[in-house]
Amino acid sequence: MNILSIRGVTKFYGPIRALHQVSFDVPSGSVFGVLGPNGSGKTTLLGIVMDVLKATSGSYSWFGEPPSERQRRQIGTLLETPNCYHYLSGEENLKIAAAIKQRGEKDIPRVLETVQLTERRHSKFSTYSLGMKQRLALASCLLGDPKVLVFDEPTNGLDPVGIAETRELIKQLAREGKTILLASHLLDEVEKVCTHVAILQKGHLLMAGHVDEVLTNEDYIELGAGAPALGEIQRLLQPLPGVKQVKTQEEHVQVYFDKEAMDPSELNRYFFEKGITLKHLQLRKRSLESKFMELTK
Amino acid sequence: MRNTLWVEWLKVRRYRTFWILLAMTILSIPGWTYFLFDRMKNSFPKGKTATAVLGSPFAFPDVWQTVSWNSSLLFIVPAILIITLTTNEFTFRTQRQNVIDGWSRKQFMGAKLVELLLLSIKCTAVVFITTLVFGGLANKVQPGVSIWDGSRFLFFYFVQMLSYSMIAFLMALLIRRAGLAIAAFLIYMLMEEIVVAVLRNLYKLNGVDYLPEEVTDRLIPQPYLRKVLQSPDEMTRWQHHLPIYLLVALLYLIIYCVIAGRRFTTSDL
Repeated sequence: MNILSIRGVTKFYGPIRALHQVSFDVPSGSVFGVLGPNGSGKTTLLGIVMDVLKATSGSYSWFGEPPSERQRRQIGTLLETPNCYHYLSGEENLKIAAAIKQRGEKDIPRVLETVQLTERRHSKFSTYSLGMKQRLALASCLLGDPKVLVFDEPTNGLDPVGIAETRELIKQLAREGKTILLASHLLDEVEKVCTHVAILQKGHLLMAGHVDEVLTNEDYIELGAGAPALGEIQRLLQPLPGVKQVKTQEEHVQVYFDKEAMDPSELNRYFFEKGITLKHLQLRKRSLESKFMELTK
Repeated sequence: MRNTLWVEWLKVRRYRTFWILLAMTILSIPGWTYFLFDRMKNSFPKGKTATAVLGSPFAFPDVWQTVSWNSSLLFIVPAILIITLTTNEFTFRTQRQNVIDGWSRKQFMGAKLVELLLLSIKCTAVVFITTLVFGGLANKVQPGVSIWDGSRFLFFYFVQMLSYSMIAFLMALLIRRAGLAIAAFLIYMLMEEIVVAVLRNLYKLNGVDYLPEEVTDRLIPQPYLRKVLQSPDEMTRWQHHLPIYLLVALLYLIIYCVIAGRRFTTSDL
C-alpha cells in the first residue's frame, strides 16, 4: 500500500517553474528520501502535499484518499524552519499543536523528554537556540505517535551531537515501522537512513525507487597489488566475462561487473593463478553521492 | 468550533500584548465617554438657553447615540489588536503550521472571523454598560420616555465595529506586516474622509455616502449640537436612508468575507 502518491505535480512561481510533472509513490513502512540540491523543489513538493502551497497542476493522495485536514492530523510534519509562537513557552506551543491535531496533552511530557527539552519546557520559544527550536519542532511532529512523518532538513541548525541523535531518532522511528518522508540535500544523511529515494533537479524528477534499484549494478570491486602491477591487473581483467568497466586509480584498480558475474573470491583465485598476489581486494558499494553527482551534473 | 476557539484561546491567554490592547480597547470606551461627559458638564454655562442649544446628549434616549458615536471614534484601538493578532500568524509563519498540523484553511479563516465577532460583541457590551451608567448619571429621563428608546444605536455600533474590524483584518491579511497594516488602515480611514468631503462638498456627489467607511459612519449621526447643526429635513432623510445604509454595510461585510476567504484559501501560505 502506498502512503503517498504524487501524480504529475507541476508548480510555477510566476514565470519560474519550480516543479515539472513530478510523480512517485511512497510505500508504507519506507524511509523515503527526497534528494536534490538547493532550489531543486524539495520543500515546494512537501509544501504542496501538506497543503500550504497550491500546485499549478497535478494531484496527490494520502492513504489512497483525496487530501484532507483529517489526514494531516495523522502526520507529524517539520517543514523548513520551526514555526512557533515566539511569545509562548515550548510547552504552550506543543499544547496548540496537540489541540489542532486533536491528540490531547498527555503525550507532551513524553515528546519533550524524547528531544531533551523537559528542563526548558517553560522557557519562551524566543529564548531557544536554533537547535532547541528544531528539537521542539521535532517534538511537535512526534505528538500522538503518528504513523507517518514528514521531515524537511531535520538536522538544520543542530550541533554534531544533535545531528547524530536526530539520525538515531529517525532510524528508531523507522525500526518502529513508521513511514518517513525525508527531504535533504545532505546525501550522507539520506544514505544512512533511507530505503527509498527520489532525486530532484531543477524541479524535474530524475529517478525514484528503492535505494538498491537506484544504485543497481553500481557495486564494484577494488583491487590492489602495488603500483607496478596495476597495468598487468588491468590487462588481465579485460577478457573476463561480465566485466563492464575498468578504472585505474593511483594505487587501485576499480572493476565494474554485471551483478551476477561479480564474485570476489573467484577473482582472487584468478589473479593468484596468474601469478599476482592481491594485497587489497574489497567489494564497494557506489555511494549515493557519486550517483547523485553523476545524475545532476 | 469548540476546538477552534480553544486553540485561539491558547494562542492569546499568555500573550501580554493581547491583554494590554484588550484592556485599552475596553477601558478607552468608558474613559473617553467620561472625558466628553465631563467636558459637556463643565465647559458650558448652565441654564435653559444652554440646554436648548446643546441638548442633553447624555440623557436618555439620546445617550445611546452619544455613547455609540463617541465609541466609534476609538476603532483604531481594537483595529491595532486585530492587526497584531493576525500579522503575528504571518510573522511567525504559524498560519502554515496550523494548516500543516491539521486545520483546513477555511477553519483557520473561520477562527479569525469568530475572533472578530467576539471582539465586536465585547465592545458592544462595554458600550451598552457605559450607556446605562452615563445615562443614569445624567439623570434626565423625561416622563413617558423609555430608557431603551434609542437602543437601536447599539446595534448600529455593532455593525460599524464589525465593519471596521473586517477592514483592519483585510489589511493585515493582505499586507502581512503589523506596522504597514496599521499605517495602511489609518491612511485609508483618513483618505476616505477626505475623498468624501471633497466629492460631496465640491461636486455634490451623494454616491460617496455609500463608500465602505462612510456608509457605516452614517448609521450613527454626530450627536452634539444637533439642534444647531442638523435640520429636521436631514433627520428625515437619515431615517429614510437607514435601511439602505444597513443593507450596503451588510453587503460590504459579505464582500470582505469573500475577499478574505478567497485570498487565504487559494494562495500559497
